Amino acid sequence: MKGFGVFVVFCLASASAALQCEHRIPKIPDDWIDMNSVCVKRIKSHVMEELKAAMQYMAMGAHFSRDTINRPGFAKLFFDAASEEREHAIKLIHYLLMRGELTSGVSDLIKRSLMPSTMTWSDAASALRDALQLEASVTKKIRDIIKSCEDETDFNDYHLVDYLTGDFLTEQYQGQRDLAGKLSTLEKLMDKHGALGEFLFDKKLL
Amino acid sequence: MATLAMTYRISLYSKRTDCVLIWSYCDYAGEIPGIMKTFVIFVTLFALAACADECYKDVVAACNPTLSKQLAGIANCNAKYGGIQELQPDLQRFANHLFFRSFDFLLMATHYGNYIKNRPGFEKLFRGLSDSLWSDGIETIKYITTRGGQMNLNNIAKDLQDEELTSPSLELYEMQSIAKALDVEKKLALQAFDLHKSASGKKHESHDPEIAHHLEEEFMEKHRDTIRELAGHSRDLSVLLSGPDASLALYLFDQHLQK
Repeated sequence: MKGFGVFVVFCLASASAALQCEHRIPKIPDDWIDMNSVCVKRIKSHVMEELKAAMQYMAMGAHFSRDTINRPGFAKLFFDAASEEREHAIKLIHYLLMRGELTSGVSDLIKRSLMPSTMTWSDAASALRDALQLEASVTKKIRDIIKSCEDETDFNDYHLVDYLTGDFLTEQYQGQRDLAGKLSTLEKLMDKHGALGEFLFDKKLL
Repeated sequence: MATLAMTYRISLYSKRTDCVLIWSYCDYAGEIPGIMKTFVIFVTLFALAACADECYKDVVAACNPTLSKQLAGIANCNAKYGGIQELQPDLQRFANHLFFRSFDFLLMATHYGNYIKNRPGFEKLFRGLSDSLWSDGIETIKYITTRGGQMNLNNIAKDLQDEELTSPSLELYEMQSIAKALDVEKKLALQAFDLHKSASGKKHESHDPEIAHHLEEEFMEKHRDTIRELAGHSRDLSVLLSGPDASLALYLFDQHLQK
């Protein structure tokens, strides 16, 4: 009995010495995980595309909030766009998680070489033009993903394709229409009244 | 007076010229004799030439029909004053550090969101930290530009660039991930302290009470609370994980984090 007591004390002592930080990884059947690996890879790299777009918008926001540029309306528009692009990246991550992906290799999902190529713009119209081009290139990339995930002979990923078409493409087309409309209005305003046009339009964006 | 004038001349070579000084010395000119007066006037003229960093002067020149053709714009009409010029690179690195860690926390949240880890509470915790650093980063950019500065998204500290190359694993167990988060938040807080030190230090070029105040109000209070929260979590976890059933403890702790 005495020996048992010593044993219990020893067990308690050793238990408090080391924390049980790691635990068993359960075995879960994985036949429900059906995404094509090529598709997964493409979505993963699109997460990066969205974050790159976010940082490009961030550079635009930073440029237009400068004191010597002073276009707070445009700065707001672009900062909001940056956060929206980040949300898109997070939406894609959530989608992959729902489909049983991203159980490993998460650390490599985001590369920090997101630095935007352009940091200054001659005027607001040229930034809007760049933004529209950026959106168009993102749209094209989403379409490419849809195409390749639909064309797989062994596995047509109906759900992913539907999600990308319904959610992402809708947002892309709405966003592009919005940017194109803004650019058009701005260009018309600036036709005869360059500086005044930009000044007024910027205040309208606030 | 000669010593005073000399001190003043030397100050002209520093980046921040105090134009106000000129006039106080001009007032003295009436009380001092001949040769000294000439000297002071000479110095004053020299000072005026060097002290061209004035918005008003630029405007006068720009509005003058003859001068405006030669002079370009109103470059000195900007929001810069105090230590922003000197502290700008540090503030840029601070903003980029915030974004960098925001991405780290996003990946940590992602790890806890997968079906094997399945810890929605931890996912929520790290997502919250990520969101918070992201908006802090944007606010820092806005602040730099408020002070007449300019953001540079490429100005990333060397150690972060190195870390990017080695890309250490962010797929950690619960206790480890809390520890990592605590270290990261402390590092950010200390970087803000360093900035504060430069801003409130004796060095004239970087002295800027407004920057110091801004950091205190916008960052330090928030980081203090985050650090306290994470330290509390690590204390709770350390006690729970030394108990008889760590798995159940983690489940309950995760439930607590979801609230």
